[in-house]
Parts: sequence; C-alpha cells; structure tokens
Amino acid sequence: MKTASLVKLHLITLVGPPNSGKTTLFNQLSGKNFKTVNYPGSTVEYSTCKIQSKFGIDADVLDSPGIISLNPNSPDEEVSINSLYNHPEFGSPHLLVATVDASQISRHLLLAKQLIESGFNVIVALTMNDILAKRGFEVDENKLGEELGCGVIKVDGRSGRGIDKLLSCVKPKLNDDEIKERNSPHKVFENISKEKLLGIYKEIERIEKNVIVEIKNINAPNLLQANEKLKILNPTLKYGSNRPDELTLKIDKYLLSRRWGLVFFFLIMAFTFTSIFWLANPFMELVDELFGYLSTTAAGFLGHTWYSDLIADGIISGTGSVLVFLPQILILFLILGLLEDTGYLARGAMLIDKPLSKIGLNGKSFVPMLSGFACAIPAILAARTISNRRERLLTIFIIPLMSCSARLPVYALLIAFLTPPDKAWLAGIALAVVYISSIIGSLIVAAFINKFNKKIINAVDSSSFILELPAYRVPKIKNVIRNSFENAKQYIYRAGPIILVLSIAIWFLTYFPNHSPEVNTTGLSHEEAVHLIKAERLSTSYASDLGKIIQPVMSPLGMDWRIGVSLIAAFAAREVFVSSLAMIFKVTDEDNLQSSILFAMKDAVNEETGKPLFTVPTIVGLIVFFIFAMQCLSTVAVSKKETGGWRIPILQIIIFTSIAYVFSLITVNLLNLAGF
Amino acid sequence: MKTASELNFGERAIISDVDNSHPSFRRILEIGFTPGQEIELVNSSSFNDPLAFALRGTLIAIRKHEADCIILS
Repeated sequence: MKTASLVKLHLITLVGPPNSGKTTLFNQLSGKNFKTVNYPGSTVEYSTCKIQSKFGIDADVLDSPGIISLNPNSPDEEVSINSLYNHPEFGSPHLLVATVDASQISRHLLLAKQLIESGFNVIVALTMNDILAKRGFEVDENKLGEELGCGVIKVDGRSGRGIDKLLSCVKPKLNDDEIKERNSPHKVFENISKEKLLGIYKEIERIEKNVIVEIKNINAPNLLQANEKLKILNPTLKYGSNRPDELTLKIDKYLLSRRWGLVFFFLIMAFTFTSIFWLANPFMELVDELFGYLSTTAAGFLGHTWYSDLIADGIISGTGSVLVFLPQILILFLILGLLEDTGYLARGAMLIDKPLSKIGLNGKSFVPMLSGFACAIPAILAARTISNRRERLLTIFIIPLMSCSARLPVYALLIAFLTPPDKAWLAGIALAVVYISSIIGSLIVAAFINKFNKKIINAVDSSSFILELPAYRVPKIKNVIRNSFENAKQYIYRAGPIILVLSIAIWFLTYFPNHSPEVNTTGLSHEEAVHLIKAERLSTSYASDLGKIIQPVMSPLGMDWRIGVSLIAAFAAREVFVSSLAMIFKVTDEDNLQSSILFAMKDAVNEETGKPLFTVPTIVGLIVFFIFAMQCLSTVAVSKKETGGWRIPILQIIIFTSIAYVFSLITVNLLNLAGF
Repeated sequence: MKTASELNFGERAIISDVDNSHPSFRRILEIGFTPGQEIELVNSSSFNDPLAFALRGTLIAIRKHEADCIILS
C-alpha cells in the first residue's frame, strides 16, 4: 500500500470495448514510459503510466482491459468491471475516458451509456473518425455531447490529433471541488434484463440518427476521391447500411474462403512456426557463444576455485540459458503481433475453433499452443486472451506438452544416435515424426483431460465463441515492436530468476561435496585434466547420490543412475540433459561435442546389467519420456502463478511425468521384445 | 421459426427476437444482435462453424450454437 502522506495523483482510467482504439490512445498519452501490472491474484492485466509531461497534466493513466458492457460474462470480466469502481492498488478513478469507435457508434455507445448512467465522471473519446469519413459521414460531437450529457472529443490515436483538445477537456474535470461533490458511482447492471438492454439500444439508435451527419465540405481532394470511389460501389450513399468495410470483405473472400481458408491458415502458421526456428537460430547461436565466451573468460580470470566455477558455470551459464530463448520469443511475438494488428489473428481463431472445441478448447487456444513450440512460459502468459476460465485452464494445462525448443538439442542428440551420419534426411524425417507424435499425443491427452474436466480442471464456464473480426488494416509496426519487447521483458522477469536459481542449485548438487577430487593427471594436457576433474567431481557429487536413489525407478527402463542424474539436471532446462550427459561420460572434446558424446554413448555399459546402456529401445524410450514429461520447473512456477494455485501445476507434474514414465516403459519393453 | 444459423451465404434477414433462455443471450444482445437489425451471413470457417455475420457495419463471428438463439422474421 502506498503511504497516505504521498501526494496522490489524479487517476484517469481508459475504458472501452475491444478494438475501440483504447490502447493506441494510451500509447499517445504515455509515450515510452509505462508499466504493466497484474490485478492482485488474477491474470487481468493493466498498463499504467503518468501522462507525458509535454501535455502539462499531472495525472496517472490506467489502461483497463477491453469490456463490452458493465455486465460481467466471465470471472475475469468481473474483476475488470469491479476495478472500475475500486481498483485495489490504484483506488477509484477520478475520471473515465471512454473510447467509442465512431464507425461502430451503435455498438460502442452501450458501454459509454452504462458508465454515464452509473454515475461515473466520463469523457468520451471518439476514435476511428477517418473510417467513418471514408463512408462520407462524420459525428457531430457537440450534439452527441448534449445527448449523452458529457464531453465528447474526436481523437486520432494513430497521428495524435485531438489529444490536446481531449486533455484540455480533462483538466477542469479533475478539479478537486468537483470531484468531492460527486457521489460515488453505483452498480445497477449486475443482472440486467433483456428489456432494459433493448431499451438502452433503442435510445442509442435514436441518438445515432441524430448525431451522424453527411460530410458537407467535400472540397478536400482525397475526401472527394474517397466519396467517388464509394459511390461506385454503393451508388445510393446512405448511412445505416450494415455492410462492413468493402476491402475487408474482398480479402475475406480469399482468406476465409471455405475451400482455401484452412490452406492459407496453415501456410501462415507454418511460416510463423518455422521462422521461430530459422530466423531466431543465428541470434540464439550468438547468445550461446557470447555466454560461452564470458564463462571461459571469467574462469580464466578467477582461476580454478569453487567460486570461479560458481560464477562461470552456475551464474553466467545460468543467465545464458535464460537469454538463449529471447530471440525466439521476440520473433514469435513480433509475428503474432503483426498478424493480430492486421486483423488476421481473430480470423485464425475462428477457422480453427470447431476442431479445438471438440476437445474442450477454444479457437483462441491456438496461438498459445503455437507459442508453446518456442517456450511454454510466454505461451502460458498468452493464454490470458481466452476469456472462458475453463478453456483457459485447459489450454494452460496442455501447453507443456507442446514440443518447446529446449527439447530440440535433446532430440537432435538422441536421433543422431539412431540414424547413420551419412543419411541426414533420415534424421530430418525422424525429427518430424517426433514433432507429429508429440502433437497427436498432446491432443489425445487434452481430450482425455477434458473428459475428466470436473476432477482435473475444476472450473465450469459455459463455452462460447463470440469474436469481432476487425477490418483489415496496415499494422502499426511501432506498437507491435513495443509489445514484443514488453512480452520479452515479462519472460525474463518471470522465468529468469527461477532458471537462474535452479541453475545454481543444480550446479551446487553436481559440484559438492567432493569439489576438488584427486585424479591422476600425469600425461594429460591441461584441458583434458580439467575435464577429468569435472567428471570425477560429478560422479561423486550429491547429484549422483540422488541418481543412485532413483536407480530402482530407472532399472525397468533399462537405464542406470547416470541417465537419472541427467534427467534431474534437466529440471533446470531440458537442454541441460545434453551437457550433463557429456560431463557424466567424461567427454572432453568441446569442439565436437555431439560426435564425442555419441562415441561415448556407444561404449557405455549399464552398470547394473553389464549390457550396453544406449540401445534402440532405451533411446526411443528417452525420446518418449521427453515428449510427455513436465520437466521444466520454470513452467511449473508460471503455471502456478497464472492458474492462481498449486492445484494445476502439481497435477501437471503428476499426470505428465507418469504418462512419460509409463509410455517410456511400454516402449522400451515392447522394442526389447521385438528384438531391437 | 428461422434462426440465424439457418441463413444461406449472402442471405440477409431482420432479427425479430433473441431467445433469452439461451446461456449466451445477453452477450449476443450486447455485441449488437438486437431485434430490428439487419444481418447477413458473410462467411464461415471451413468446418461450417463458427459463422461470420455482417452486423452494424462490422463482422462478428459466433458459433452455430449461439446463432441458434437469434430468431429471424
């Protein structure tokens, strides 16, 4: 809680329906300085800022989530609506700026009217006036102001026109005397009746007829042109047509065609999916090399002490394993942001809604699921856009099953073991098979969990899909880039500390108690000696003790404690499995890590049975294990935060890890029986 | 009694009522499907569900199940 002694700034809350230009307006007011905060205990997100000093008003602005009316339809909407009355952190707003899309005035006035009738201090910001002007009409703002009984100002959030006027209207409204005189707003719309709603609409339709006027001044050449164009398409220029934007309808003829719609959808999504990998790859390698370099430099600078190893191997490598996914996350959000800003993403959700609804998901689950192929953490955050609580929880539940890119190095190593090195195409096919089976596997698991919905998800919410398909428009790159960076920042804040702490914990487990083992290094080069020490240290470490404890669990899979230790180490991040195997099998050649690990793996013998440790059955079994296992502790932490409790993350660990173990057990034994 | 889910592509009709026993009826009204409005079925997904209607100058996609509560005259 902020202390009362601080001078509290006036609070202006922006409120409006989705796609009403609310966030664009917020960006104009905030400039570069804003922060995103969560409503305590929920996933409802707010952006907040101080109005840019150039506007000369000392006030905080809060960008609230888009709502259609004051009647909540989901738990999250209820939170959004209640916070208009009293936000636990920011208090009650002194003024609401309600955004209304001028070209959608008959739909968007519903919320504005409800707000005014509830007794809020409201100013209406009329947006998208250019779209209405293209049709040859404009809104008479004075008349609308009289009808509503509040100030109405036209603004253009994209160019910033009208913002000054809006703020000059805001200033007198923030007068302390006037604020004191106002009664606090009342809630009247909890369970609004159909008659009451229709009554409001009748009133709005009457207002609409009154305030929409034909643009008289058509001397402006571009307007004249626009009108001529429109007259060709629509010879009787008349307001009140229900026709949406003509260009949008034309584009939709292709993109939403019943025959080709899905083809376009899969092409666009395949492009998004592959670019997470090929566009991000060079940047990821760069980050990897940078941190490898930093780590070696630090170690060289500090000498061979335990704290130099802590800094080099624990902290620097740990930071690297957080930042290595940053390029992917930035590129993913950049592309998804562009798709959203053009208006396509809503259409994608519509196209895929039917099949996903069969397994209890929603069209809006698709983007979070796709993001899961990069990293589960931003994917779980992206699930916030699903308004239905049950569908959101189910989506979050299955996201860890999407094959995130941290699994790629693991699959690459295991597949390289199975396929001959001269047949690279075979490895490609094998990888595709792994991805496809992981998609099919996760869909089956989702369907299964949906069946036991009541026991697992424990939330009932009637499923619905009502979504506005906004008119296509050129995306505003600046906003898209800004949002991508904001999302990337969220990833670092959320996953960063957890991955870092875990990396240090696992470093500790693999380093102590025998931190300076005595080995015979005569005749070995300095580098070889260092690696031998590392290997010896690991095989006598706490981690290996842990691995020996879980030996009984590993035996039925035909594996021994050494794989068990690597699986434990992989809880920090899955790709750690590879470097851990390298350490355990005393691989010293860092330039050719993969081929040397492979070489060592071929020679490895199961310490219990004396048979080869890595065989076709155990390798396939490991792949199956990685497809299903909930191995990433950062995901567990984010899942706990986003679902509001331990219930779902704990069920995810139990269910996914048992599925992984059982399927892996079945695979290994079936393949053994088949004589592989 | 014809509902919005039974429209053909490109067919226009006027809404006469919204069934208030349907769980989504309030949201359907709030988004603008009110009696007296003209709607047109413009598009659908390849699976014929959801459906996209032109309404009040914009496009709204709703599931067939929800379109069922929009009664046409």
